Amino acid sequence: MITCRQFRANLQPGTADAALLDHLRHCDACLDYAMGIDPDLFFRSIGGEELVPPGGLDAFVGDVMSQVRVRGAETSLAPRRAAGVWQRLAIAATVAAGVTGATLVYRIEQRPPAAHPTQTAAAAVKSAVARSAALATKSFVETYSSHNATIVEVPNEGSDAKIVMIFDDTLPADL
Amino acid sequence: MAAEVLRMIPTKESVEPDDRQLVEQIRQGDDGAFETLVRRKTSKVYGLCYRVIGNGEDAKDISQLVFLKLWENLEKYDSAYAFDTWLYRMVTNVAIDFMRNKQSRDNAVNSNLRLVKTSVDPEQTVTVQRKEVESVFNVVSGVLSPKQKTIFVMSEMEDLRSSEIARILGCRESTVRNHLFNARKLMQQQLKKRFPEYARLWEESR
Repeated sequence: MITCRQFRANLQPGTADAALLDHLRHCDACLDYAMGIDPDLFFRSIGGEELVPPGGLDAFVGDVMSQVRVRGAETSLAPRRAAGVWQRLAIAATVAAGVTGATLVYRIEQRPPAAHPTQTAAAAVKSAVARSAALATKSFVETYSSHNATIVEVPNEGSDAKIVMIFDDTLPADL
Repeated sequence: MAAEVLRMIPTKESVEPDDRQLVEQIRQGDDGAFETLVRRKTSKVYGLCYRVIGNGEDAKDISQLVFLKLWENLEKYDSAYAFDTWLYRMVTNVAIDFMRNKQSRDNAVNSNLRLVKTSVDPEQTVTVQRKEVESVFNVVSGVLSPKQKTIFVMSEMEDLRSSEIARILGCRESTVRNHLFNARKLMQQQLKKRFPEYARLWEESR
């Protein structure tokens, strides 16, 4: 470090000389003198020191290194967790198959049920019963006489019942 | 003859790898090299953080964050450029971010506080004490924007040239000079308001 005499002899306003600045930052006796020459050196006097974090350098470095090791462990685990190309393809295919299957099942469930043979027979029986019930409610005609009617009797073999056909324009259509 | 032999023996300094060599070793998985780099750069990183942030504990936390970022991004470092420029860029980015967040927090907390005027007689003569300069700086630099303060610290306390600061911050040299000019002006105004005894130094020198 230069002497106070050298410092005072060489100091100029706006100096950037490293030796002069170094002296300024370490010599209290010259600080006041420097302010009289160049007040802009006021804040320059607090620079240049070697600053150490609270707790000391070793503790600081130890903290940084332990955090780095933790991060290092995290990143070294990461590749093991990540799947390879074939694994990724297999996972994608499985997912796609699952989605397609689920869609198909859903569509089938939404479709109206197909006509089933037993259901058809049951429906036919049901409609025949309904029809016969409708017929049963109608009045039963035992005798019939009309001048306009044409009555045809068809004999039925082996039975007492006879089929009678009446053709008469004055009769209701549903009789 | 003996002197020549002594010159041929490698000294501790000559065998120590430079920053680029250390980075290469770290990239090859050498944790010890990273520890050496942290040990070597702590003073620079912490010093800049401390000057910009003005608080030892916060500066320590920010410095640790910088080294973690450094470790995570070391692959991105291009050894064609100076390592310190790259490192300083990282420090300034993290520190400026921290300052911006802190300023917005402080603004919210201190919005109801009023500036109390000092009762020092401006006419009294003053002997500059180094320990006081630091506390004066911490007070008056509060008016600077994080970027202005960072540039001021790099220029006045870290003795970096405007061209270097421009490279670090990725801006033009004229922008750096502009920020410096404004920072000085604002701080002198604050000195007049808060520390008239020191402001007299500027007035006397005119």
